[in-house]
This record gives sequence, structure tokens and C-alpha cells, in this order.
Amino acid sequence: MGRENSLTVPGRYSEIQRLCAFVSKGARQAGFSEDSIFQIELACDEACTNIIEHTYGGEAKGEITVRWQVKKRVFVISIEDNGKRFDAGQIPPPPMPPEPPTPGNEFEIQVGGLGVFFMRELMDEVHFSYQAGKGNVLTMEKQLPEKAQ
Amino acid sequence: MMDIWHEELPGDVQLVGVRGRLDQNLTPELDAELDALLEEGYQRFIVDMSEVSYINSGGLRCLVTAWRKAKKEGGNVYLFGLQPRVHQVFSMVGFDKVFELYPTQQAAQAEWQQGVS
Repeated sequence: MGRENSLTVPGRYSEIQRLCAFVSKGARQAGFSEDSIFQIELACDEACTNIIEHTYGGEAKGEITVRWQVKKRVFVISIEDNGKRFDAGQIPPPPMPPEPPTPGNEFEIQVGGLGVFFMRELMDEVHFSYQAGKGNVLTMEKQLPEKAQ
Repeated sequence: MMDIWHEELPGDVQLVGVRGRLDQNLTPELDAELDALLEEGYQRFIVDMSEVSYINSGGLRCLVTAWRKAKKEGGNVYLFGLQPRVHQVFSMVGFDKVFELYPTQQAAQAEWQQGVS
């Protein structure tokens, strides 16, 4: 435990599943249930989608590196890019729950900001950092289940 | 086997099926299918979600966009057969209250038939 595993791929939507599968495999080895693995995968998916959409502003503008490790019974994922600063604070959370459809606003369901919301909801810790000239590092953590070694 | 398929049901109801992961790879196909049907003037939809094993925010966005367009024309998009983990994603963001969710195709179809009569 504590050994770090990493994978770097071009920032394309078609590569996201490969990154997710890489992290899922690690999560499975770490002893997470299939339900938790689904959640970890979704958080990674949303993080990588945000990188392509927001920090790179499109596909094939740079690489994405995903690392995972188990540190003190915590599964730690870090996702790095070389794009522009991603300020999660600027993304307003979606209204929770969405207003039930009522006359006048029934078509105005907000769907922006869902990705960051999922990441924060599904992981125990989510931290964004940025270093000029290097890029963004997103760190997400999830406590290992009780029974996992 | 196609990952996105379509069948016309009685009463102009359009049944659209999705098979696999509703992610960046598959969502554009679903988006195109629903958009094409909406462009043709169809407003009543049933989406078979029973073989969808995964969905992300993009997949949700695609469904809600079609729902919004259909509702504007007096129609709706009913979903059926959500797997538990996919259902949980809907619940987390309150979309289980936005969409009308049914356990089976028959149940969703019956709802359309009721609306027609």
C-alpha cells in the first residue's frame, strides 16, 4: 500500500473511460464495494470532463494524468492537467433539489454545475489547486471501507 | 446490436432504447436520435433505460434537454427500468422528481394510453 499508480492520456472524451477503468481497478483492489466503485468512477469521469471542457476548452489540447494510491486507509486520486486555472468556486451549485415543475418555470431545470456537485457529493474530500506554469491538480479522497485491508 | 434503437408504438409514442454506458461516447448518439425525432414533430417519448449501466451529468443533460423540448410541445419523456445505481444518480440531483419514472415499458405505455383516451 502507498505505492502510486499513474496513467497519462490525451485529453479526449474517448479516453475518459480508460482513465475511469484504471481508477476503478485500483478502487476494486483497495476493497471498495461495486456501489462505491461506481461513485468513484462517476467522480473521475466528471473531473476529466471538466478538464476537457473548462481547463483545456476542447479536446486534444493537452494531456490528463490520473494517479491513485492508498494512504492511511484513504483512497487518494489526483488528476492533473496543464490547462488554465479551474476555479470550482465560480461554478454555482445546481439548485438542490431542482424546483418541482410549476407553471412558469417548468422548463427551467438547471443542469450546469452538476459535475462538480457529483464530485463533492460522492467523495469525502475534493481539493482543487493550481500552480502557474504547471496546471491544475485535483485531489479527491474516499475513506476505505471498514472491512478492507 | 445497436446501442441506441428506436421503435414506434401506437399513439405516435416513440420508444427509444439505450444499451450500455450513457457517457461521452454514447450520449451524442442518443442526443442525435432524440433530436431527430423531435425535429420530425414527435413529442411523446418513452426511453428504455433498463440496459443503461452508467450515466454521468452529460447523459442527464441530454435527457433533460429532450424532456424540456418535448414538454414545450405538449409532450413528455417517460423513462423506465432504471437500474439502482443509475436511479441513485437521478435521486442525488432530484431528477427522479423531474422525470416520470416507471418500472416497466408497459407501465409507461399505459400512462400514454391513458393520456390519449
